Amino acid sequence: MIRLENVSLAFEDKVILDNISLSIKKGEIAVILGPSGAGKSSIIKIMVGLWQPDSGRVFIGNKDISKLSESEMLPLRRKMGIVFQGNALFDSLTVEENVSYFLKEHGSLKSSEINAKVSEILSFINLEGTEKICIDQLSGGMKKRVAIARALSFDPEIIFYDEPTTGLDPINAKSILDLIKRVSERGATSIAVTHILNDAVSIGDTLSVINDGTVVQTGTVQDMLASENKFVKDFFYVVYQDAALLKNKKFYK
Amino acid sequence: MASTITNFKKKIYTLQEYTFMLRELFLSLKYVNKCKRDAINEMYLVGSQAFLLVLLGGAFMGIILALETGHQLDLFGAKNLVGRTVSLGMVRELGPIITGLLLAARTGAKNASEIGAMQISEQIDALRAFGTNPVLKLVMPRTIAAMVMFLPLTAVADISGILSGMVVSKLSLHIDTSFFWHSAISALLMKDIFVGFAKPILFAFFIATISCFYGFQTRGGTSALGKNTINAVVVTSLIVLVLDLIFTKVVWELL
Repeated sequence: MIRLENVSLAFEDKVILDNISLSIKKGEIAVILGPSGAGKSSIIKIMVGLWQPDSGRVFIGNKDISKLSESEMLPLRRKMGIVFQGNALFDSLTVEENVSYFLKEHGSLKSSEINAKVSEILSFINLEGTEKICIDQLSGGMKKRVAIARALSFDPEIIFYDEPTTGLDPINAKSILDLIKRVSERGATSIAVTHILNDAVSIGDTLSVINDGTVVQTGTVQDMLASENKFVKDFFYVVYQDAALLKNKKFYK
Repeated sequence: MASTITNFKKKIYTLQEYTFMLRELFLSLKYVNKCKRDAINEMYLVGSQAFLLVLLGGAFMGIILALETGHQLDLFGAKNLVGRTVSLGMVRELGPIITGLLLAARTGAKNASEIGAMQISEQIDALRAFGTNPVLKLVMPRTIAAMVMFLPLTAVADISGILSGMVVSKLSLHIDTSFFWHSAISALLMKDIFVGFAKPILFAFFIATISCFYGFQTRGGTSALGKNTINAVVVTSLIVLVLDLIFTKVVWELL
């Protein structure tokens, strides 16, 4: 579904991505995991076509998008949805206006059809009744849900999540992770980037650990736990630590 | 030396980026119908809401021009020429310049800060990611609105300048109002009006596009936003002055 072949990217002298290759299958939830500044968000921006790589190729389906112009990207972008790290919602607009924004901009739907679509999406993300509320009056968790709702407005085949739970409390974070799984069940291929290990383990069908712009290891959670790679072991150490803490019930002391 | 070369390269690169944005703007002209509603909204914001500012700016310019020239001309017994001096000064130069500078500050700051804030909060990326051309969506309506509204605003500045000059000439220099008005109007030739009203269109184009460009160039946090907003106002103000000089020189030599 999505394939990165030897992708490199640098800004001035700083190397962001160094010869990265990744493959994501249709329908799966792929998580790109790594520390802050590892180049995770850059991968998403390259996959969406917001940035072009310096070298290498990016395939969406069988189409190489690495050198496509903005206008050539338009039809492909209609098949994608993206949830930005900071939500990127239009804060002077209401929930309904945000979710319907791009449907009105590009869609050929009638007003009544757009309203029905918005209601259906808001119901799916459990935000019924918030249509007329302005974005700046919502909590962080609700904003994230609206960002997901907006990304779902075109029924995308691929949906990208950039740090979906950053800044949220554990309860809201869990509800967002559950929502990502439910979105995936609708058939969309999901790609999430995060630095939060528990999120990655919780939702990822496959994980790709990246560090300093290179892919360190790709595989399932079990593959990661069995890895002999020092960086992966260090990164996953917290899982063992948490498991040990829970086992010894140290939280309750 | 190396840093000077790097800085020069950056300036060239910035100019190149601005040129690309203008190219995108011209290529988007075929979709101009799509931004009709946004353009009308912008016209209200950059035009109607700036009415009082421009009215007062023009009025004070007219008063100062009448007082300064009136007292000097009086020394030669030529204070009756104040009317034509004020009208020519306002229509040819001060009307467009004061409107350009006031709007470079007001509209320039508005465009750069709005688009800059959208850039920082990834809203520009969101527009692109969901298939909307940010230049068509954000730059086109602002440019159209500025080019349409700067013209009547310049007329407001000109008229308020001439009228306030007339009032102050009556009160301070004891020049008859009907004489002032007649000499002011009869002094104006068609080419004065052409020059006076062609300038705002040119100013508007550069104020709108340069300030939007600075908004797009914003990277980082709020300090970068502040810095780019200042840069937008400074550069657009300078451009207004430079364009005025070029336009005056070229047009007066051609016409």
